[in-house]
Amino acid sequence: MSADVSDLSLVRRVQGGDKGAFDALVRKYQHKLVKLVMRYVRNPAEAEDIAQEAFIKAYRALPQFRGDSAFYTWLYRIAINTAKNAVVSRDRSPIEYNIDRSSDAAEESYDMQGRMKDSETPEGLVLTDEIRRTVNAAIEALPEDLKTAIVLRELDGLSYEEIAAAMDCPVGTVRSRIFRAREAIDRRLREVFEGGLGRTEDLA
Amino acid sequence: MNEELDSQLSAMFDNELPAAECELLARRLSRDEDLKGRWSRYAAISATIRAEGGMRLNSNLAVRVNNVISAEPAVVTKAIEPVRQRPQKVVPRWLMPIGGVALAASVAAAAILVLRYESPLPRVAQTVPATTATTQTLVAKSTAPAALDSYTVPKTLPRRSIVPSTQLANYVVAHSEFSSPVNRRNLLSAFMASESGTAGVPSGSDEPTEDVTDDAKSPR
Repeated sequence: MSADVSDLSLVRRVQGGDKGAFDALVRKYQHKLVKLVMRYVRNPAEAEDIAQEAFIKAYRALPQFRGDSAFYTWLYRIAINTAKNAVVSRDRSPIEYNIDRSSDAAEESYDMQGRMKDSETPEGLVLTDEIRRTVNAAIEALPEDLKTAIVLRELDGLSYEEIAAAMDCPVGTVRSRIFRAREAIDRRLREVFEGGLGRTEDLA
Repeated sequence: MNEELDSQLSAMFDNELPAAECELLARRLSRDEDLKGRWSRYAAISATIRAEGGMRLNSNLAVRVNNVISAEPAVVTKAIEPVRQRPQKVVPRWLMPIGGVALAASVAAAAILVLRYESPLPRVAQTVPATTATTQTLVAKSTAPAALDSYTVPKTLPRRSIVPSTQLANYVVAHSEFSSPVNRRNLLSAFMASESGTAGVPSGSDEPTEDVTDDAKSPR
């Protein structure tokens, strides 16, 4: 099975004029992309803006994407180039952003700004300390087989087949374990945020 | 939402769902907001486990991207059907034989015109006045048959062999009273032909080298 098959099926839908499929791709990769851009710009707000620009560039370039490489690899390159260009143009501008000096005051300022925006969507709170604690607690509470499966998948990046070999079980069992682990974590998150993370009326 | 569907979504998130199932689920995912919400949470959980935190991720990002894209036209599907959809020059089938016939006819017409233009005999018949300039032009044409498309003034060669002799001139004058113009013309042409056959420049050659020798051979 191709490693990129599900992304590719979404890409093909976008290429067929389905914008909702691109929304799914954005939701899947937004965290990764912002983290990637943060290597170049350490201001989170700027990183978000660059990630947004990268996504829009990718959308506009999708007619030329033929699936020779994985979608994320292609998106990764666009994001890197966008970030590099942003850094160059920022360096040319007279305004300077001192990341070291900002560690307290500016971070706090952004935190406040972020929380104001976050009130529009519960998903905006996803990486706060509270959420991190909730997720970690949910993982710790998982049965051992589920915990091992989800950790091998998410932290070590193994495929289902590799996890099956490591855990000495069928691939179908791995798929089921990972799904059940996610469901358990998601349930805890939804309890915390009541309306549920990624609630549709908030995201729309 | 049934568990099998959620299980498929989880596998699809990991790029582990078979392609056929992906096609169906991708269609549903792009339209079903509940499924999208679950998809988003899977991404958030994944980011949290991978410690992609530490930053303040404002997830309005997806909404902002969606707002920008909504205002844009949908992308076109050239990538899906790459080669077959290329526009081609379309020539109607019925036009192809007509075009071939027209081409052949034009080539034939051009060939006829060129041959008629190049043929020396009618020219000789029409340019009867036995002036030196005319005969030089005729000889020059016969020596340069390859110049079909353009006319260049030939070199004037110092030859006496093709100039009617005094004997001929006297003969023509003497008999002009009794001969018709057509006969005079024929006589002059025949004489010129005999002159060029024995003493003229070799046909088809551009080398004016043998005038002296030819003069010695020519019967005067």
